[in-house]
Amino acid sequence: MAAAWKWISQRWEVVALALLAVAPLFVPALGGALGGQVTTLFIYCILALGLNVMVGYTGLLHLGIAAFFGIGAYVVAILTVPLFPFQIGWLAAAAVSIAVTAGVGFALGGPVLKLRGDALAIVTLAFGEVVKVTLRNLEQVTGGMKGLNPVPPPGAGVTVAGTDLGLAFAVDPRWFYYLALAALAGVVWAMRRLENSRLGRAWAAVREDEPAAAALGISATQVKLSAFAMSAAVAALAGCLYAATLSTTADPNAYDFNRSILVLCAVILGGLGSIPGTLLGVAILVGFDTVLIPAADSLIQQLSGAADRSSLLSLASWRLAIFGLALVLVMRYRPAGLIPSRRLAAEWGRGGR
Amino acid sequence: MGARRAMRTRPVASAADIPLLDIDRVSMRFGSLVAVSDLDLDVPERQVVSLIGPDGAGKTTVCNCVSGICSPTSGSVRFHGHRLTQTFGPRVFWMAMGIGLLVGLLTAAAAVDVDRLWLAVVKRGMVLDEPFTFDTVRRRLRSYFRGELAIDQLAGKWRVVTADGRDVLAIRRDYADAVSLRNQLQAAVTARRAGPGTIPDASDMADAASPSQPQASLPDEVLDRLAAGKARVRIRGWAGLVAGWVLGAAGTIAIWKRGRRSPHAVARAGIARTFQQPRLFPEMTVLENVLVGLDRTIPGGAIALLLGTRGHRRGEEEARRRAQEALSLVGLEGDAERIAGGLSLAGRRRLEIARALATGATLILLDEPTAGLEAEEVDAVIDLIGQIKQRGSAVLVTGDSIDPLARISDRMAVLEQGVKIAEGSPAEMKRHRRVIEITTGVPS
Repeated sequence: MAAAWKWISQRWEVVALALLAVAPLFVPALGGALGGQVTTLFIYCILALGLNVMVGYTGLLHLGIAAFFGIGAYVVAILTVPLFPFQIGWLAAAAVSIAVTAGVGFALGGPVLKLRGDALAIVTLAFGEVVKVTLRNLEQVTGGMKGLNPVPPPGAGVTVAGTDLGLAFAVDPRWFYYLALAALAGVVWAMRRLENSRLGRAWAAVREDEPAAAALGISATQVKLSAFAMSAAVAALAGCLYAATLSTTADPNAYDFNRSILVLCAVILGGLGSIPGTLLGVAILVGFDTVLIPAADSLIQQLSGAADRSSLLSLASWRLAIFGLALVLVMRYRPAGLIPSRRLAAEWGRGGR
Repeated sequence: MGARRAMRTRPVASAADIPLLDIDRVSMRFGSLVAVSDLDLDVPERQVVSLIGPDGAGKTTVCNCVSGICSPTSGSVRFHGHRLTQTFGPRVFWMAMGIGLLVGLLTAAAAVDVDRLWLAVVKRGMVLDEPFTFDTVRRRLRSYFRGELAIDQLAGKWRVVTADGRDVLAIRRDYADAVSLRNQLQAAVTARRAGPGTIPDASDMADAASPSQPQASLPDEVLDRLAAGKARVRIRGWAGLVAGWVLGAAGTIAIWKRGRRSPHAVARAGIARTFQQPRLFPEMTVLENVLVGLDRTIPGGAIALLLGTRGHRRGEEEARRRAQEALSLVGLEGDAERIAGGLSLAGRRRLEIARALATGATLILLDEPTAGLEAEEVDAVIDLIGQIKQRGSAVLVTGDSIDPLARISDRMAVLEQGVKIAEGSPAEMKRHRRVIEITTGVPS
């Protein structure tokens, strides 16, 4: 029994993946609205893992991750919507989008390499706002406030064994569920691999002591640039999935500071630099917001009867208060996050609470 | 990478007469404070040279100057006869040009109004149901930069518009009407461009106007505006491109210049160091700390390691083996999986030395490796320095007293307030009066 438990806790990601993969077979609600919400949750998980490369691994405070999310979504939309003549397949468009966004991350990283801490935070925040306003003002390219739509579903026009994949995606949200789940699994796998590689060690070395890393021949420039680009690329993947799931890029305000902060909070809450922590953080913050609150509210409505419509009785109007309280409690009692990374756990353990 | 390049491009004198490290009249001033003045010191290959002096004598500053953390106010540090500054080669030039071009294209895009350019080149083709090919794109690009009039469609009606689509000049229900009107107006604009007094060319008009249509005309001021538009877009575009290019290239070179003798380039050339206060990566394990030192020996970037290519895997295994070897040299082989921050001071010092050794450096700078250690720990460190020498690396070590270091040093130099007051063999230093005064604190 104990051995089984140990096996499970070491291979948590395999267990979670298996459970999530079979879930739609047993939970019919995943074929409906709930499926869409959980898909969004997966996409946020990918976004948070991308941010984690910057904030958790490399220790660079990044407040503009939503901008890369947005660029990823818009590039994929530009390449696929019927409004423009390109109209290439979703997979190819996603690849281009990821490459372009990584390039943008690289280009942003170059001039801001010397900045750390709050200065970097301000630059990335400003970058996020610039991207949002640019997306809004380039009306011919991005559709302005209307956004770009309709983004065709992945696999549109591809027929496999007599089924039109595009149609299948459009009809059944479970296709998106599996697509996002596969992407998330791929990102988790890649992150695990990066963590324990020379790149992961170099990120951590630059985070912990930049002069010491430089004295060992590590170029902080290259290491930070790779973190910028990697983070942007993963965020772009999330953006590609997001645009495909909604079949629109939504308006540029969907990629504003609030989204960056929500994801940052999730990473900090779960544990900087920790993959399971980041996933848990997103599950709690975003899941609470998009899945739990609507469900709880409809329950409260049923119990209290239709007559009472006081806003005090709806959980939705309390959500920010609950958020804040949860963050304060976590920071007070588990400052390294809910599931701290091995490295951060070591640091907090040494420094004492 | 850069340092290796510098080595190739610099002329090399005959290897026999240049010392491994040549500190040549180095001075370091911080404002009015002179930390080191006119220091000359050589470290020959495979020798241990120690630099002795009381606290504040400038020993750490010397280490920092050698390892590239600070650049000397005057004088030079040469390693294998090279200054270890990166030279301005074709690689830097093309990097600057590339980044400049990128910035230039961005500013040019902003200057020519990329939004409208997109409308003219990409979207208008969709309205007119034209194929999206290289030819059509080139034609539309040219037409945009020439400021030619174009046809657009809105709500089922055809419109004659300016190239950027901002001005609607006429609306027609019929496509053919709109096209012929556009051709007439274009001819008028072209004529206006040729000069204010010129009458439209007869041949131009011939293919433009269909006889059944009344002559289309526009007010003079509109014609003037349309005629001027072409020049404006072009000038703005070129100005943006050139300004962005110059700025981007200049900025790249400026940033490159600042990092020309950066610590990592020095380290890659073969100088590793330890710090007075050990600077480990406290949250990593002991083994991982050493692996960071071996980073360069593992081939492959992000893509290679994600794919797990053979070269990368083998490099990683080889690095782990060498890291274990370095750890057993300093006697930490049993602590490989411990968190580095939990080691004792002596353990941290040893780990730092193992990490420096692992880089494969030919010169190792040890900044006060014996400070704060117990007597037997000091002995162990001294033995370790002897082993480093045996392995073929040269060592420059600092300390505050002659005694423990005299045992393994080939040469010793003594610093007082940034000035070298004595240099010689350990035996000579032990007899030197001033040196005894400084290092013991007892005036004789």
